[in-house]
Amino acid sequence: MDLTNEKIIEMYRTMKRIREFETNASRLFAEGSIPGFVHLYLGEEAVATGVCSSMNEDDYITSTHRGHGHIIAKGGESKYMMAELFGKETGYCKGKGGSMHIADATKGILGANGIVGAGHNIAVGAGLSAKYRESGQVVACFFGDGSTNQGTFHESINLASIWKLPVVFVCENNLYGISMSQARHQAIQDVADRAVAYNIPGIVVDGNDIFAVYEAATEAVARARSGQGPTLIECKTYRHKGHFEGDPTTYRPSDEVQEWMAKDPLPRAVAYLMDNEILTEEELKKIDEEIVKEIEDAIKFAEDSPVPSLESIVQDIYTDIVEEVR
Amino acid sequence: MKTMSMMEAIREAMNKRMREDRNVLLFGEDVGAFGGCFGVSAGMFDEFGPERVRDTPISEGVIIGTAVGAAATGLKPIAELMFMDFATVGADQLVNQAAKMRYMFGGKITLPMVVRLPLGAGISAAAQHSQSLEAWLAHIPGLKVVYPSSPADAYGLMLQSIDDENPVIFLEHKVLYGASGEVDENMAPIKFGIGDVKREGGDITIVATGKMVHEALAAAEKLSADGIEAEVFDPRTLFPFDKEGLLKSLEKTNKAVIVTEENKRGSFAGEISAIIAEDGFDYLDGPVVRVCAMNTPVPFSPVLEQYYIPSVEDIVTAVKKMF
Amino acid sequence: MSTIGIIANPASGKDIRRLVSHATVVDNNEKVNIVKRIILAAQGAGVTGVMVMPDTFLIGYKAQEDLKGSRELNIPIEILDMRVKGSVEDTILAAKLMEEKGVQCIIALGGDGTSRAVAKSITVTPLISISTGTNNVYPEMLEGTVAGIAAAAVSTRTSNLGQSCRRDKRIEIYKGGKMLDIALVDCVISKQTYIGSRAIWNPEDIQRVIVSRANPASIGFSTIVGVKKIVGEDDNFGASINVNTGENELVAPIAAGTMKEIRVDEPVIHPLEEMFSMTMDYKGIMALDGERELPFKKGETYHFKISRDGPYRVNIKRTIESAQINGFFNR
Repeated sequence: MDLTNEKIIEMYRTMKRIREFETNASRLFAEGSIPGFVHLYLGEEAVATGVCSSMNEDDYITSTHRGHGHIIAKGGESKYMMAELFGKETGYCKGKGGSMHIADATKGILGANGIVGAGHNIAVGAGLSAKYRESGQVVACFFGDGSTNQGTFHESINLASIWKLPVVFVCENNLYGISMSQARHQAIQDVADRAVAYNIPGIVVDGNDIFAVYEAATEAVARARSGQGPTLIECKTYRHKGHFEGDPTTYRPSDEVQEWMAKDPLPRAVAYLMDNEILTEEELKKIDEEIVKEIEDAIKFAEDSPVPSLESIVQDIYTDIVEEVR
Repeated sequence: MKTMSMMEAIREAMNKRMREDRNVLLFGEDVGAFGGCFGVSAGMFDEFGPERVRDTPISEGVIIGTAVGAAATGLKPIAELMFMDFATVGADQLVNQAAKMRYMFGGKITLPMVVRLPLGAGISAAAQHSQSLEAWLAHIPGLKVVYPSSPADAYGLMLQSIDDENPVIFLEHKVLYGASGEVDENMAPIKFGIGDVKREGGDITIVATGKMVHEALAAAEKLSADGIEAEVFDPRTLFPFDKEGLLKSLEKTNKAVIVTEENKRGSFAGEISAIIAEDGFDYLDGPVVRVCAMNTPVPFSPVLEQYYIPSVEDIVTAVKKMF
Repeated sequence: MSTIGIIANPASGKDIRRLVSHATVVDNNEKVNIVKRIILAAQGAGVTGVMVMPDTFLIGYKAQEDLKGSRELNIPIEILDMRVKGSVEDTILAAKLMEEKGVQCIIALGGDGTSRAVAKSITVTPLISISTGTNNVYPEMLEGTVAGIAAAAVSTRTSNLGQSCRRDKRIEIYKGGKMLDIALVDCVISKQTYIGSRAIWNPEDIQRVIVSRANPASIGFSTIVGVKKIVGEDDNFGASINVNTGENELVAPIAAGTMKEIRVDEPVIHPLEEMFSMTMDYKGIMALDGERELPFKKGETYHFKISRDGPYRVNIKRTIESAQINGFFNR
């Protein structure tokens, strides 16, 4: 597969950017700077990065409540994201959405989503649009194992399969739907098994291996783009933190956590870069420092930004109607 | 001018926009060659083909969700649900996605989409195929709710619904599909938030929506025989709501009866009543009265169903009590 | 006492070949069903105990529970007491434990990788490999019931082992005098640099294919040799061929449903036990039985040897026929 060193380095940068963003989000949430709920993508970086790296800038994604990684991987800018997490006027959503609702239509990001399973249907709509307009665009629909028990999962894959829509369904199976382990929430171990029911390819990949994800996504994207319809890719992965920040995660056995921490996608990527002499230690350090700086700048931007005006509360509901404020 | 049924008016408005704009497409259960459950899309499949008039599986969630995704990415979809009652199945997509995406995303996404919902009682379709749930939808910021009572209004409002850049709920009373009227096919779209006085009168304002506009007009004729001249005001859109139009009528009549086919409890009739209480209190010389359906599920048996639906007599009785 | 072992890989039948070569997803509940059919056939044919590898999907437990529930189970099922890692190491360990505990036959359910992992551990135990997919080189497409009968015939010694089992060849890969790994059928030297989704399906990056056997009436990269030179199971040699070079234009079924035109050199014969070496002038990966496994660097030297130290593979038909002659089915 055609994968240049530059591209591999770029994929590493993306993973590192997500890692750094999320690590800081965790800290800032604990410190009280970020209100509301935060669901972190730590540990799952290879999935979003591998998938989005196989797509074009004008392709679409739909995301989830655990969406920061998808948005960064699809080109979302960390400073506007961080400002949104802070609830600031300069955030992606002017402080109206927060962590779970970041979108950037100019980058094909059709939004994170607070409703588990809701993105499936929207992805199918975008797929219909791309196919109908003959734009050549594809849609990657990210979702967790938990959402595969929602009706939307079945409705959307069914529709995408009968209409042969250019949608790649990417299941991030992190083994838990909130606190409920997969073994308790469904009688299958591989969500990919469900592809059979919709007559589409279903595959399982190591979601903590950037190359495995990238390869699978590249094939699925090519299939979608050439009009052959959807694919279901199940990426086996693990969230390093709880479902939300503050989740005590007492439901996860510690040896399981340890096993998965050992499969952390970032050190694996670093090992590849080093073993294959794609980067020197010095170059790696420089990249890491650049990213640390970028996230520091994002935090500074968020901190320095103004809160939204109270008048803005009534704006952006409709394109043409602005009701009076109280 | 051309005489059309309400169904034809809705169809012709969709046809007009689909001929003009390739980005407009229609999908829903059996809307294709079958022509739609009630026949609204008859002939459209033949004219526009399977790419633009699409049959969907029976999956209300994904029907609405597909409209959301398509609207967010450059199309102007019209989604039909077979019955408004089924909006409950796809409610998340309507309430949490369509209605809220623009706001949650800070105004950075536009959703020009129409969801057509046939509603109302009167055909013995029983409790899951007959409801009038417009209050639920009008309650949700982010949605516009349109409810025509005549072919001409249906035509002009459908044009506007398709042109609108926001999610529009287009309510179609099943019993009115056959109602005929004159339609000017060259008419301009009817702007939302402008009610229509369907009958002028100086003694009382009857605010009515959908099929109840027809009951109100019939009641007004009966009342006229008894010397009471009722003005029948049809807001035509529930959100945006023509408060000024209503208050203007009220200023003249000083009395208001609100007639809708909803269950009375928690109805949009209650919302209209509250609007009058808040902003039109000084015009009133008596209490506002609501004539709505009973607070029961819609019953099946024709005898019970007719008893459930507000009748012309119910309106006449309610009005007469106010004099 | 006659005991058989069952190793069912919950991860097989789901890799990227579903996407790139029209393979079918094999769901795990079907694997449970196959295991149940094996157990019932083995039990009906006189096996007195079954050992099953534990796995993340709990295939053994599910089979046991179902058969208890339907009151069809009359023999003990032992799920091996071992820690499940959810990786290929489970298979390697389970096969080792089963051989230590003296099972008389192992049935492996999975793809080439599963068979290879079992083969790494066992030395004397006869093996039946059942394919749970369409893309396999080593395992056979075989109904579980028939596999169960054959395993019973082997384990009850009703069949003549000498006739019914054949010791397979294997490819041994060495570096610095140490054996790194084995392949049962083929070792593909590729210029790809990462393991990624493991399977290989693009011939463009391939430099050389080493085979223990090769036949055009099969699929996989070994057929690149097979379409030019047949290397039989009984032949006391293997072969290798350089790919994307040379004068011969061939077409070969390198994966299920995948016929590729490939340019190759003349094949080279490697007699059993004769060591041959390769010094890599590029970095890449070795794929063993179709799965990318061993990364190598430019300048490294590897040694290869074809040996007959592979597993004792049960010939299903011969085994059951031999058993029938010996009265296996008489009651």
